[in-house]
Amino acid sequence: MTATALWVRRPAHERVGWLRTVDHKEIGVLYVGMGLVFFALGGIEALVLRAQLATPQARLVDPDVFNQLFTVHGLTMILLAVVPLLVGFANYLVPLMIGAPDVAYPRLNALSFWLSLVGGIVLYFSFVAGGAPNTGWFSYPPLAERAFAPTPGVDYYILGLAVNGAGTIIGAINLAVTILLMRCPGMAISRVPLFVWMTLITAILILGAYPALTAALVMLFVDRQLGGRFFDPAGGGQPVLWQHLFWFFGHPEVYIMVLPAMGMISEVIPVFSRKPIFGYAFVAGSSVAIAFLSFSVWAHHMFAVLGDSENAIFSATSMLIAIPTGVKIFNWIATMVGGRIRLTTAMLFAVGFIAMFVIGGLSGVSLAVVPIDLAVTDSYYVVAHLHYVLFGGTMLGAFAGAYYWFPKMTGRLLDERLGKLHFWLTFAGFNLTFLPMHWLGVVGMPRRVFTYPESTGWGPLNLAATVGAALLAVAMVVFFANVVRSLRSGDIAGDDPWDGFTLEWATTSPPPPGNFAAIPAVTGRRPLWDRKHPERRDQT
Amino acid sequence: MRPPAEAIGDLSLVVGAIALVIFVGVEGALVYAVWRYRDTRGLAGEAARFERNRPLEIAWTAAPALVLAVVFVLMLGTMAEIGGASADPGVRVRVIGHQFWWEFRYGDVVTANELHIPVGTPIDLELTSADVIHSFWVPELGPKRDVVPGATNRLRLLARRPGGYEGQCAEFCGIEHAWMRLRVVAQPHAEFDAWLRAEGSPAAVRGTEGERVFLANICVNCHAARGTEARGSSGPDLTHVGARATLGAGVLPNDVARMRAWLDDPQRHKPGSFMPRVPLEDAELDALAAYMAALR
Repeated sequence: MTATALWVRRPAHERVGWLRTVDHKEIGVLYVGMGLVFFALGGIEALVLRAQLATPQARLVDPDVFNQLFTVHGLTMILLAVVPLLVGFANYLVPLMIGAPDVAYPRLNALSFWLSLVGGIVLYFSFVAGGAPNTGWFSYPPLAERAFAPTPGVDYYILGLAVNGAGTIIGAINLAVTILLMRCPGMAISRVPLFVWMTLITAILILGAYPALTAALVMLFVDRQLGGRFFDPAGGGQPVLWQHLFWFFGHPEVYIMVLPAMGMISEVIPVFSRKPIFGYAFVAGSSVAIAFLSFSVWAHHMFAVLGDSENAIFSATSMLIAIPTGVKIFNWIATMVGGRIRLTTAMLFAVGFIAMFVIGGLSGVSLAVVPIDLAVTDSYYVVAHLHYVLFGGTMLGAFAGAYYWFPKMTGRLLDERLGKLHFWLTFAGFNLTFLPMHWLGVVGMPRRVFTYPESTGWGPLNLAATVGAALLAVAMVVFFANVVRSLRSGDIAGDDPWDGFTLEWATTSPPPPGNFAAIPAVTGRRPLWDRKHPERRDQT
Repeated sequence: MRPPAEAIGDLSLVVGAIALVIFVGVEGALVYAVWRYRDTRGLAGEAARFERNRPLEIAWTAAPALVLAVVFVLMLGTMAEIGGASADPGVRVRVIGHQFWWEFRYGDVVTANELHIPVGTPIDLELTSADVIHSFWVPELGPKRDVVPGATNRLRLLARRPGGYEGQCAEFCGIEHAWMRLRVVAQPHAEFDAWLRAEGSPAAVRGTEGERVFLANICVNCHAARGTEARGSSGPDLTHVGARATLGAGVLPNDVARMRAWLDDPQRHKPGSFMPRVPLEDAELDALAAYMAALR
């Protein structure tokens, strides 16, 4: 069925099909496309921020524009780039991996995509409707109240995030029901690929976390538009309440963004090591532990406002979450040990994920230590930490997934030479950008400042970070060029270019509507391996 | 009592050393695994099949737990120490955060953006905000603490050596967050006492042309200069503004020329601050700048 292929130039009446499609693969592609467009926008915003900070007391952008840009950069990358990218991959892959013809609720699936996209458009519309939100991605009241933020930016923030969140919540219900109810015969929950496991956990996290954000947004809307006083101390309100609600969403959100990427490399590493994953039960089980713990760590974002006893408790839970995370890293390395590792671009990015995520994880533990957090919170140390987790971790994982599954989605391979160039430029640019930020934070550079005095001595490291950001931009140009070129003239992939283990490689590239000619039946965790090697069938 | 910043520094070194060992171990294992087991022959099929090793997996779950338990106990000790329950404060200062400057109150003595403290004495800051959430941070002296409207948070500082320490607001608080800086001046006791006496005295010059310009314009709606009729309280107290090191919470060094430039157009130097441009003649600006510089 080449008609579903991405690169085929459709006749006009069929192009409208993208608007009304309910096919999980097309919706998955729409999500990924949305994620990439917003990733590019968020990246351009970041480049402007880095240009302004390259030298002390620069006057490249106006302070208010700077504040709008860092607010929208954070919102874009988190809610409009990373989450749609990951949800897009999940949409595309989950039914294929569990041997299902589609998701449980295909129409709802379309609704969730369009809500997510409209939420993003509403947020960006603020740029031409009186100014984007300029209060930071977490928009703490009272600063976000109308008295201090009179432009409509925060109202677009409320509306955009609420609509986008509704889409994400509906999508999570759909994915969870699909995974729980639509697995093919023999696909016990203990046999589903780890990417599917992580997607299930992510969906549950979304269902627990996003409603807290929606509630907080409604309260802020009441404050701003209907004269409410939820967060206004002058009216008996409590500004810190917002922080509890926001971070009750905000910290699980981190795992929502990391777990699917962990799932991706849990597929990539075994295939390119030519071994089954080491410790499937521990990798899956540790994710369940992370999910539980992630709802008990939110106040580590608030150490500077809470008292010692609360801080000690939230410090303990935050440290605990390092244990299941560490387990995963050991399991991935143990999967490689004894293998025959093929260093494809996908595998390079997966290894890069582990290497960078270790750094983000260790700095994360240091931030769970209350006195250290009180020294470096709200400084560039945190900017470094979160980018090691979300770029060094999630985005490198997503690139691993992109190189791995692009052939399935399009029928053509991404170019490996451009891919390796993309990887090494990313690796160098990323570390040059974010490694110096650790030190900047330790010596006192706060986050969210549009400039800094020369006397601070922060200039050289900021310049290094800006050069790194430019390098990252070049890396992304290489990636987009690779995508465009490979869509048109990449090598034909065939059904199973990597000698894969899981069901998505058992159908055509791209798969036909309905995915499989017949619903497969499986007897193990690596159904395609079993089919190719009946004599060496898995025993699980 | 040790300065809190030193206690945090020591804890950071211990945690950093543990993190470094883990970093080298894990990254080393990763690089070794990739290099040692890289495929050189392009063989198809399966390399090996070992999928689990329960004792090993339990061990690498338990080992980090033990390390974290040690870190947690060390942390509790440092938290108790920097909380400073053991020592009485020598000086209490009420700190009020404003968009985008700091107010410091030593009893009735009010000043702005420059916090003078005696060395070797624990200082208790009582932090609150007049508007949005700010955060008080002087990296070399202690941890940071959020400054929340409607609440009073406490922070203990201690400086061992005399000198100037740079700090600033660490919680994003609006358009000029970047220029909500502050400076701590740690002084020997006698010097601090003298400073506090001087700071408590009324304005040093009276009856000048500059004073007339100051009192005749909207300056007095927001600013106070003790000893004059100017009693505004929403802007920094100017009784001894000439003695401070910077203007606009750090945006300009404080001398007569910069003072004049600042008064001429604050929005040029700190766009978004609440100080408006007051239309004044050149001669009035000269007189006003000279007057402000003389308020020492």
